[in-house]
Amino acid sequence: MTIGVQCVPQSKKGKFEIMAANPRIIVVGGGLAGLSAVIKIAEAGGKVDLFSIVPVKRSHSVCAQGGINAAKNLKGEGDTTWNHFDDTVYGGDFLANQTPVKGMCEAAPGIIDLLDRMGVPFNRTPEGLLDFRRFGGTLFNRTAFAGATTGQQLLYALDEQVRRYESEDKVQKYEGWEFLSAVLDGNRVCRGICAMNLRTMEVRNFPADAIIIATGGNGALFGRSTNSVVCTGSANAALYQQGAYYANGEFIQVHPTCIPGEDKLRLMSESARGEGGRVWVPRKAGDSRAWNSIPSEERFYFLEEWYPKYGNLVPRDVATRAIHRVVFELGLGIDGQAMVYLDLTHIDRATLDRKLEGILEIYEKFVGDDPREVPMKIFPGMHYTMGGLWVDFNQMTNIAGVFAAGEAEYQYHGANRLGANSLLSCIYGGSLAGPKAIEYAKSLPAAQGDGGHAAEKKRQEEINTGLMHSDGTENPFKIWRELGETMTKNVTVIRYNKALKETDEKIYELLERYRNINLSDKTTWANTSFAFTRQLYNMLQLSRVVAQGAALRDESRGAHYKPDFPDRDDERFLKTTKAYFAPDVDEPRFEFEPVDTQFIKPRPRRYDAAK
Amino acid sequence: MAERTVKFEVKRQSGPDAAVVWDKFELPYHPGMNVISSLREIAANPTTVDGKATTPIAYDSNCLEEVCGSCAMVINGKARMACSALIDNLEQPVKLQPLTKFPIVRDLMVDRSVLFENLKRVKAWVPLDGTYDLGSGPRILPQVQEENYPLSRCISCTICMEVCPQFNESTGFVGAATIAQVKLFNQHPTGKVLKEERLHALMGDGGIQECGYAQNCVQACPKQLPLTRAISDIGRDVIIQSVKDLFTT
Amino acid sequence: MATAVSPAVTPPTRGVQPLQAGEGHSFLLRRLHSLSGIVPIGAFLVEHFVSNFEALKGPVAYAQQVRFLNALPFVRVLEWTFIFLPLLYHAIYGLYIWFRGKSNVVYYPWAGNWMYVAQRWTGMIAFIYIGQHVWRQRFSGVSLPEHPGAAFHKVQMELSNPWILAFYAIAIIATCWHFAYGVWLFSAKWGITPGDKARRKMGYVCAALGIALVAIGLSSLYAFVGPWYKNAPADLTPAQITNGESTSSAPSNEPPASK
Repeated sequence: MTIGVQCVPQSKKGKFEIMAANPRIIVVGGGLAGLSAVIKIAEAGGKVDLFSIVPVKRSHSVCAQGGINAAKNLKGEGDTTWNHFDDTVYGGDFLANQTPVKGMCEAAPGIIDLLDRMGVPFNRTPEGLLDFRRFGGTLFNRTAFAGATTGQQLLYALDEQVRRYESEDKVQKYEGWEFLSAVLDGNRVCRGICAMNLRTMEVRNFPADAIIIATGGNGALFGRSTNSVVCTGSANAALYQQGAYYANGEFIQVHPTCIPGEDKLRLMSESARGEGGRVWVPRKAGDSRAWNSIPSEERFYFLEEWYPKYGNLVPRDVATRAIHRVVFELGLGIDGQAMVYLDLTHIDRATLDRKLEGILEIYEKFVGDDPREVPMKIFPGMHYTMGGLWVDFNQMTNIAGVFAAGEAEYQYHGANRLGANSLLSCIYGGSLAGPKAIEYAKSLPAAQGDGGHAAEKKRQEEINTGLMHSDGTENPFKIWRELGETMTKNVTVIRYNKALKETDEKIYELLERYRNINLSDKTTWANTSFAFTRQLYNMLQLSRVVAQGAALRDESRGAHYKPDFPDRDDERFLKTTKAYFAPDVDEPRFEFEPVDTQFIKPRPRRYDAAK
Repeated sequence: MAERTVKFEVKRQSGPDAAVVWDKFELPYHPGMNVISSLREIAANPTTVDGKATTPIAYDSNCLEEVCGSCAMVINGKARMACSALIDNLEQPVKLQPLTKFPIVRDLMVDRSVLFENLKRVKAWVPLDGTYDLGSGPRILPQVQEENYPLSRCISCTICMEVCPQFNESTGFVGAATIAQVKLFNQHPTGKVLKEERLHALMGDGGIQECGYAQNCVQACPKQLPLTRAISDIGRDVIIQSVKDLFTT
Repeated sequence: MATAVSPAVTPPTRGVQPLQAGEGHSFLLRRLHSLSGIVPIGAFLVEHFVSNFEALKGPVAYAQQVRFLNALPFVRVLEWTFIFLPLLYHAIYGLYIWFRGKSNVVYYPWAGNWMYVAQRWTGMIAFIYIGQHVWRQRFSGVSLPEHPGAAFHKVQMELSNPWILAFYAIAIIATCWHFAYGVWLFSAKWGITPGDKARRKMGYVCAALGIALVAIGLSSLYAFVGPWYKNAPADLTPAQITNGESTSSAPSNEPPASK
């Protein structure tokens, strides 16, 4: 039988049409975007299957710390959704299509209310109203927050709602399953997904009338980043290789304040600066005095001096480049190392504990110093993927039936994301994608034949068999390490065309070496390195999109900065980069699409003065 | 001078019913290394100390900043999060074992889905009318938020259950994490509409009565949740509820 | 095509099973166990200790106390309903609780965890002790309800064996410990002392209670074996009890609490 596909009488037209009355939607990814899509679909009476590599409560959204933006204007500042819209577009250096951004900013206050009703323990004012803090890239107190673990609190609230639907049998969770590919029929219409059980390693197809990809960003391309282990971009890359456009891949946000670590770069939230944290280095190069014996006139508060208007709260790309400049050009890093101080010691303990406890605890735990007593040592690290699957204003990719939401798609942040806009874009994108997917699925004609299921399953099983029988010499973890080192060095804060070209050549070399891979574990039970090796291939393919996209864009815009082309070039590059996979040459090809700028005319983006 | 190294002993099992073996590894020391970075190092070169080639060690991990709850394991005899276990603070050889109270999947991976099932059974959610626009939420005083927020930081790592002498197959005890969530939702102005149902659920077999108040949960919790306080508060609520039930049914 | 796929997430088939929400009777049984430890068992324990404290005043006072208690209306019913049956229930269910817990104090040697273990061992000692104590003092030998005057002598004979005496001393400490910590546990579990501070304060109160009971218990013990009432008469006649006379040899020393 087929799911929910039946003849429905159309009373007005008086004829019968084939359509899915009760469509089945698959959501891939259990972070904020995925869960909000699931909630919307379940609420509308649709059937949802939710796929996630990890139990959804362990998704990467938990790592978001600072807050979520909405122009609720509860601080008497005259904030408006238009201001929020303007800040977002301006912060993104005008690369974002303005229609969806405007929609998001207008929906934001309602989203906060909804989250509040769901029980998110947002911080409160004495009157019991939502408290708001200031975040980077704005002059308004617009960021609602729950301590310093807002992402965790939001994810839990949605997770709880989904658990409720699950207990009512409206949602079926598939945790511990990894998305391998979309199942496309002869007309390249999506008919479901092919997924792999990460315990039994079984490959299985799941039919659906539409799928929503909400698999997050691709930090793993850079080896160490602030992203979680599962943020490999593998699902995105698989779809890209199946014909989906990947947009603005070159826009990678590097977070200015991370705690360098062996296994990952741990985020030190922007809220540390939002609550008054100050970034500084000793004025004198090679000053070896302890921090507390350096008098304030000998401290170089470079963000405050260079950007008096926004001070420590300049947008992330600006702060990141400033730190880079201070460390690498002026040679002022602490003890000559790639680190600067982020200082909270002038703020009293109680305030810090109340507002920032979560993040201070992280520093204390992972470094061993108490940031209430000693300034933190931080350095920029890869943080967020502004680019992603290209989607239309209904969140659908160019493959019919494949939708995308959250960090996995590209549309809300342009060339640079503002702090506390990511949680918003995830929830907004997900709650838009859900209903749009149902709408699409309801008018979807039934598939011809098996809808391409058998062929796709066979293709995926062949990949697995090939890997399981690999007998080369290359270790996948070492290939990954080399990829990460190259990408971090050449494709993050400062980009040169020569280095980008070398990077692409390096990735090509790694892809060649991948063909000679050796799996040290060939068992068929909970084989984590096997799953990783599969992801690695996709990561390599996607890295070329990022590196080549960066090479093509000869300008500086938002997070993308080329010293050889220091200015924004709206004439040539006020355009969305769209990469597509060319199977014949096994590499990306690029197109450029004009940006929707109908509401706000692009103007120079400066944070050293009022905008 | 001999290069400084770190020694590991890892308890391994290739499947739920497979035999247990202990593999030994030795890695070069780096400042700042932790258990996760060491496991990754082993994966890049899965060779035991006696030169035998083996498979990378299977383990759960995700955020690596102690907020996703994935990487709980027993390290040197104590249940804790692997990502925050700095090698500098551990005695050597570093002994890694899977959590002992949960079914083994493979090596250091275990199946902790019982917690999520328990959360379902106590209806740990705020029952919304719907996600459509119904205006702002209830006013909540900062004091109430400050009491609820710590409970909402539970990362579902299950360490409180692992260290609890009462959490085992014969009691079927629900564990501290779930009881804390009951308190959290019973205190929410809307969530408390399900208060009685949650209390009744916790009076079932494996419910709050199985707590032996050894207080290990609160000692071991990596997020310092006020778990014993939650158990006491809910303990009182179930008693009051059961007395009410006695006179109303 | 779209046949129902087997659910991906089911409750685990192995390991600890999920909460049986709202099902079963263990809540009632466990709470009854907890409550019975306080009332009536705990209350009786205090009464029993106070009664035995009369031994410090000598065989006659002791006999008067025994007679008084045995003269209570419905005394046999009271005895079974409020002492023996609850004790038996508390003991057997307690063993069941112990049997089902898996102590891990070796790995987690924390104070609360030690107390958890101690509560089980002291309970066990108390159980064994009370079992033999009730059997030997209440149900075998001279029947004290009928011969309250023989009470002092009977206990004295029992304690003349140094091993038994040591056993009594250990058991008194264990029982008091079990009771005092039981009170603390009760107030924590029933939500009387939810906060850390409240529990700490309650800890002091319970420690004081435990120490006081141990002091009472051990000094009562001393009354039987100490120098004051050596060779108490095997029995006293009802008249002797009523009149407060003793035909036995006078105490070698006047006890401080004697009238």
